[in-house]
Amino acid sequence: MKLTKQLFLVGIAIIMLLAACSNNTSSKKEENPKLDEEALANVNETGFPIVKDPLTLKVFTGKSAQNVNSDWNDILIWNTYAEMTNVNLEWEQIQTDSLEEKRNLALAGGNLPDVFFLSAMPTLDLFKYGKQGTFLKLNDLIDQYAPNLKKLMDENPEIRKAITFPDGNIYSLPSIVSPDFMSVRIASRPWFSQEALDAAGMEVPETTEEFYQFLKASKEKTGKIPYGGTSMAEFVSWLQGSFGVSNKGVRNANIDVNPENEDEVRFYATSDDYKALLEYVHKLYSEGLVEQNIFSIDWGQYLANASEGKYASTVFYDPIELFGDEIGSDYVSASALKGPNGHQEFSKVAPSVSSIGNFVITSENPNPAATVRWMDYFYSDEGARLYYMGVEGETYEKTADGKYVYTDKIVNSAEGLTMEQELAKYLTWLGGIQGIIKQEYFQGSENAPTSLEAAEKITPYVPEEIWPAFLYTEEENRFLSSTGADINKYVAEQRDKFISGDLPFSEWDNYVETIEKMGLEELMKIHQAAYDRYKKE
Amino acid sequence: MDAKPETTIQTQVYASSRLKRAKKNLLLNWQLYVFLLPAFTYFTIFHYIPMYGVQIAFKDFYANLGIVGSPWIGFEHFERFFNSYYFWRLLKNTIILSAYGLILFPLPIIFALALNELKNGPFKKWSQTLTYAPHFISVVVVVGMLVAFLDPVTGLVNHIVVTLGGEPIRFLTDPDWFRHIYVWSGQWQSLGWGTIIYLAALAGVNPELHEAARVDGATRIQRIIHINIPSIFPTIVVLFILNIGSFMSIGFEKVLLMQNSLNAETSDIIQTFVYQTGLIEGQYSFAAAIGLFDSVINIILLVLVNYLARRVSNNSLW
Amino acid sequence: MKTFSLSDKAFDIMNTIFVAVITLIIVYPLIFVISASISDPDAVNSGRMWLWPVDVSFAGFQRVFQNDAIWVGYKNTIIYTIVGTLLHLLVLLPCSYALSRKELKGKKILLWVILITMLFSGGLIPTYLVVQSLGMLNTIWAIVIPGVVGAWSILVAKTFFEQTIPDQLVEASKIDGASDFTIFRKVVLPLSLPIIAVMALFHAVGLWNQYFNALIYLSDESLYPLQLILRQILILNEVSAEGIAGGAGTAQSFVEQVKTASLVKYAVIIVSALPLLIVYPFLQRFFVKGVLIGSVKE
Repeated sequence: MKLTKQLFLVGIAIIMLLAACSNNTSSKKEENPKLDEEALANVNETGFPIVKDPLTLKVFTGKSAQNVNSDWNDILIWNTYAEMTNVNLEWEQIQTDSLEEKRNLALAGGNLPDVFFLSAMPTLDLFKYGKQGTFLKLNDLIDQYAPNLKKLMDENPEIRKAITFPDGNIYSLPSIVSPDFMSVRIASRPWFSQEALDAAGMEVPETTEEFYQFLKASKEKTGKIPYGGTSMAEFVSWLQGSFGVSNKGVRNANIDVNPENEDEVRFYATSDDYKALLEYVHKLYSEGLVEQNIFSIDWGQYLANASEGKYASTVFYDPIELFGDEIGSDYVSASALKGPNGHQEFSKVAPSVSSIGNFVITSENPNPAATVRWMDYFYSDEGARLYYMGVEGETYEKTADGKYVYTDKIVNSAEGLTMEQELAKYLTWLGGIQGIIKQEYFQGSENAPTSLEAAEKITPYVPEEIWPAFLYTEEENRFLSSTGADINKYVAEQRDKFISGDLPFSEWDNYVETIEKMGLEELMKIHQAAYDRYKKE
Repeated sequence: MDAKPETTIQTQVYASSRLKRAKKNLLLNWQLYVFLLPAFTYFTIFHYIPMYGVQIAFKDFYANLGIVGSPWIGFEHFERFFNSYYFWRLLKNTIILSAYGLILFPLPIIFALALNELKNGPFKKWSQTLTYAPHFISVVVVVGMLVAFLDPVTGLVNHIVVTLGGEPIRFLTDPDWFRHIYVWSGQWQSLGWGTIIYLAALAGVNPELHEAARVDGATRIQRIIHINIPSIFPTIVVLFILNIGSFMSIGFEKVLLMQNSLNAETSDIIQTFVYQTGLIEGQYSFAAAIGLFDSVINIILLVLVNYLARRVSNNSLW
Repeated sequence: MKTFSLSDKAFDIMNTIFVAVITLIIVYPLIFVISASISDPDAVNSGRMWLWPVDVSFAGFQRVFQNDAIWVGYKNTIIYTIVGTLLHLLVLLPCSYALSRKELKGKKILLWVILITMLFSGGLIPTYLVVQSLGMLNTIWAIVIPGVVGAWSILVAKTFFEQTIPDQLVEASKIDGASDFTIFRKVVLPLSLPIIAVMALFHAVGLWNQYFNALIYLSDESLYPLQLILRQILILNEVSAEGIAGGAGTAQSFVEQVKTASLVKYAVIIVSALPLLIVYPFLQRFFVKGVLIGSVKE
């Protein structure tokens, strides 16, 4: 018995050892992108086509929900662009469900694509694999072959800052929202029901006090729910600017700049401003002025209520577009409220660089220069137009007053599909921003007249500077993903508890102390270092 | 059974005779070993060969270097997990949630015994099919239904509560309610499905035993307690022990859907924590480390419970 | 001679009531799901619909069957389920039977080998690499072979064999000169209908609902099983923040989309579960009380 047992165990060990040895995947460690002489010679420095001899690239991309039925290997936009550039793409489209696994498998299984496109690449991965050379360093390539992107970066230095890692390198091309396309950067915005305003005998509130009065009046005089939204976090995000909180935008959780020292980062979640914000929201919630199930409501419920006009005020996207003409036209837009301490900011704004990992060139790529040129077009006006509007005459047309709109066949689908579904047959931008998205070359709910109007009202109150997501070293990241994540989680949980009343404000000092004990000082050192790097560039 | 040999000569003789006996057994029962072949070949290829992947829990995973090539970081992932502010809460919640579910273990057995007593006919067929159907409802829909019924304002349950003169209960955000709702809605969904295996076991009960008991004047309940249950007892024990083997591995999708910051005190479990860290930055090896931690606890519990089962009931897994 | 005592009758009545009550409680979500799949979504979401359909609409089902892909999905899933279940039984039954025999030596190790596979796993990447190196990617084998048998089914089936196959029977057959193979085929299998039926059912249901293997190992859409196709339909119709921010289209269409998304969610469940629910009663007769009467007597 013992002997067979031993033999058996040895057998298993041998098998495992063999397997382990045989699995040494070779990794190509590149120091600098090997700019192949031949490949370079094939590239046209400017103009189209991009390459003299046809080039084929294997591209790995995520497949968003809207694109589930479209085959990118045969679709108008890529067909058109392939003809222009002489670059053919072989798309491997992966459903979002398995995107992370498949991405890791692509890296591990020795089956590296030439490009990772819209693959939800984590920032840390960009850095990890960039340092190894698996993802190419793009600094020089951009200088030489990406004039459009370079121009954008020169005009808006925060773009370059947002994509440069602590080692000074750029490992991916960004997805950009044109800085002046505020409507997209604001995302959802506040709306007030005119009917409720009339019943309350008020104008659109401009201060937090007026808003409170409006909510009370709506509750008493109308049958509507004074405020309802898709989440409490969103409501707070709108109101935070009225208390001077998150004064540099929403991209970096829980930090903004110290109002008394521009060079210092502040952890606003322990500040008095933030406490005042929570106390205000708590007051609203405890008096029944906010929909009581806002902490657990799901989108279906919210939309069902909203499209029946149940809300006197809400924060959402364009009401006419989304709730229909009848209910939607009752809503009037608002902007930032003035808080009790005089702050009046609309800080619920995303930075212009919406994502930094959507275009990665790998060490397998046969012609990185051509690839960069390929993507660079989409940072130009014509490229943005191609990506978001399509081909003139086919998918879009120019109106008399110079606007670009989708053609009739898109808007009124022959098969009874929604505009989105019809669009997905020709274009690929749905569900993922790439290149640069500009107001003139876009048609979506953010472009609806009421939404644009609202954006104009809001823009004056948007902070001068909106921070992109800061980039950290590997060591800093280790701290951020452990203690940092725990602290952010604690802040989020306690925020909701303070607001709902589950936690009384007498516990505030305890709350602050707990965060400090968890490691706040260390955390702020890291954020400060990142901010210092950001400022230096 | 095997006495400990005292001298080396005796050991040698002993060892060689054991080998001989093993060979003899092999020859005698070679067919039985052939029966084992397909399953064990499968396990070797698809479970043991990939098993080297377990070491990823001790590494900083770089996909392009592969699991073997990635650098070792020892117990760093585990330290990070143990040092987390939330470690004890996660552990506590996971254990309590799992244990609570385990307490309901007898329910499918009772229901199976009841179904078994029904006379064959349409009522029996229908009740079985209907009770096992909820097993197919997706988690998303189940939670959607719960949210709809338990809504503090529009939910059916609160309508009843208010009509009876009470205050609406915040089922969905009250940490005290989370566990009850989670576990009982789970039972609601899985009771019928859980009876199937017991029904099959009951089909093997010797009817002669029932005849004899009936002649002796035993009532139905007595017969169930003294014949049915003992007959299926080995099955019950095996299923219970296997259940323990996945104690820490609670399916997380449902918890994730029901979780919010207000009930996090009780709804925050290990699996959802891992999932959420993975959303921030892909944390492949960290997730693997925690999975390993869960497995180790599972195995300890498994051995423990098996030992207890053997002592108490003479039935066990091995 | 059967005598029905009074207590027996009382028991029958109580038992029937008990089962009926439980069934009614459990059947409620089923009725809800069926009603919800054909009701107006606003009524469902606002809580107006709680039992019977309100404002009947078949848009959900239309959306599901709109795409021909769903029939391909059904076909593939049926094939995968049948092939996979047969393979499962082929691998499982002999193995469990052998493990149930006292004369098998080394049982403890063997059981531990199996248990360990239930407790520890190498993870996705190594398993994927094995599947890849065997050339099984994008074939039916990637669906039916990984997971073809598991510790749970082996151990439960082993227990069944230990309980229902009397030792004397096997001994007697051996004395008559039968080999293990013969005994298994001619004696054991006929006696094991309940366990075969149950294991077949569990595995078939598992395969029918399976989704992850297909997601990872298949890239050819013509091989997609039902669940994958249904999932595509589901997310295509889902409404989310990304969908809206990316441009939702005209007012009419968005509201419509939200409505059908809700219906689709329920329709998908029915479409996927119905075939199984229909098949179940046919399998059920194999593990009904009394199926073994007469077969044990030799």
